[in-house]
Amino acid sequence: MKKIRSIGLKYCGGCNPRYDRAEAVRRIREELGGTVRFAPPDDPDVDSILAIMGCETACADLNAFSGKKIWIITSRKEADNWVAERKKAL
Amino acid sequence: MPMMNAKQYEDSLRKLKLKVYMFGKRVENVVDDPIIRPSMNAVAATYEFAHMPEYEDLMTATSHITGKKINRFTHIHQSVDDLVKKSKMGRLLGSLTGCCFQRCVGMDAMNALSMTTFDIDREYGTEYNKRFLKFMEYVQENDLTCDGAMTDPKGDRSKAPHQQADPDMFMRVVEERPDGIVVRGAKCHQTGAVNSHEIIIMPTISMREEDRDYAISFALPADAEGIIYIMGRQSCDTRKLEKGTIDRGNQIYGGHEALVVFDDVFVPWERVFMYKEWDFAGQLVEQFASYHRQSYACKAGVGDVLIGATQCIAEYNGAHKASHVKDKIIEMNHLNETLFCGSIACAAEGHREPSGTYYVNTLLANVCKQNVTRFPYEIARLAQDIAGGLMVTLPSEDDLRSPEVGKWLDKYYRGSTDVSTETRMRMLRLIENITMGTAAVGYLTESMHGAGSPQAQRIMISRQVNMDVKKKVAKKLCGIEGA
Repeated sequence: MKKIRSIGLKYCGGCNPRYDRAEAVRRIREELGGTVRFAPPDDPDVDSILAIMGCETACADLNAFSGKKIWIITSRKEADNWVAERKKAL
Repeated sequence: MPMMNAKQYEDSLRKLKLKVYMFGKRVENVVDDPIIRPSMNAVAATYEFAHMPEYEDLMTATSHITGKKINRFTHIHQSVDDLVKKSKMGRLLGSLTGCCFQRCVGMDAMNALSMTTFDIDREYGTEYNKRFLKFMEYVQENDLTCDGAMTDPKGDRSKAPHQQADPDMFMRVVEERPDGIVVRGAKCHQTGAVNSHEIIIMPTISMREEDRDYAISFALPADAEGIIYIMGRQSCDTRKLEKGTIDRGNQIYGGHEALVVFDDVFVPWERVFMYKEWDFAGQLVEQFASYHRQSYACKAGVGDVLIGATQCIAEYNGAHKASHVKDKIIEMNHLNETLFCGSIACAAEGHREPSGTYYVNTLLANVCKQNVTRFPYEIARLAQDIAGGLMVTLPSEDDLRSPEVGKWLDKYYRGSTDVSTETRMRMLRLIENITMGTAAVGYLTESMHGAGSPQAQRIMISRQVNMDVKKKVAKKLCGIEGA
């Protein structure tokens, strides 16, 4: 049985987002349900971070996650692409 | 408790013994009063959102005093990134509440005092900064909301504080004791005053030596003996007392202001941050004002709500495809994003002061606020243009619910057939709320006068632009010799 991967979920603050970040995450969860577990970004069990940024400025501070694999999402399209990649990798 | 949640904040307010008056009567239960409650909800949101993953990157910071995670509203800016995040936090909160959330003024007072106390100590060998940092640690550890109180009544504007016929027109020391001082005076237009745990007093203008008794800054618990709050009225405020909720516009949030009277109030020395250093009063005023002028990114957030409401009502009216309506909404967005530009720019161009605190670019902060004195009015005008006159001629919710006449409202005030009359009414009331109801206090008049009236920014702009360089280049380019 394949191990469920834990990914830390980090958001920017969302001052002026170009898409609905919460909705994008809801869709990601739905699409990848059962294959990925999203956890707080500071969870010691996560070895990778999915950073949900509201725009291309991508201002959330990711310094605390250096050494970890970081995926940065700045649009709904990128969220969809990331889901497709994850599915392919499964 | 480094970071409270909304419930803990509300519980903490219940423990305060504030002396609050409204409509000539003492308010016994401030937290649950229906007129005050929406403003409490807005401050509570600053606590709640700090715990939400999708907002915490803006809503929290790391304390430079303790290294702990704290609510950004209790933070002393330690980098340009902190300044930028402050601007973004203001927009975020305005866009989620549609009103003034009141907590920025205390943050701005604390940041200004972190610099001024340091500078006074360097000049006079005093210990204000040490006292102030102790106070800051207390604020951060308990996640307190602070009211930053600057505006004195000022009496006759042509006279200095010591020249006033009534010497109490500016906050002043009336007695010095071994353990502290006794102060008398008042602070006007205090945003969020009765939702605050602490009140931080600052002088309101630059002073001369004769005004030294007025050059004082201190912090006190909001329920200290002798402090009295008299609530300001807002247009349409008593709609909050009605049974229905549609006519309130904003169902959840609001703001408030109060006159705060200090009737011979004792301040212990450990809470005094400036005492008769009249030559630093102007610096404190300027630093607080500059930070507070940056804070008006919040109006871009409220503008987001108003623009959203305007787009909705255009659709409900069936007018959203008209080219002039589309163009007006583009104009609203253009103005709104320009407001945000100013706040971001003054933050991005910030710098480190000797105290270690990061300070905004003051020229750009004044430009930001000058735009804020104008653009929300134009955005509101366009919203009213698109909403139509029904916004101000609409009968009440009681009429909509009336078995006798409700059917007529439902029939004749329906717009687009797929939108209910009640939905249309709700959106019209929200636009009314922001452009001429209770929230217009924050969105319009506060935009005009808060953090200084328009002329105050124009004076600062004229002082800070480098006119000599501009003239020199102009002369050189047109061939004037000796440029």
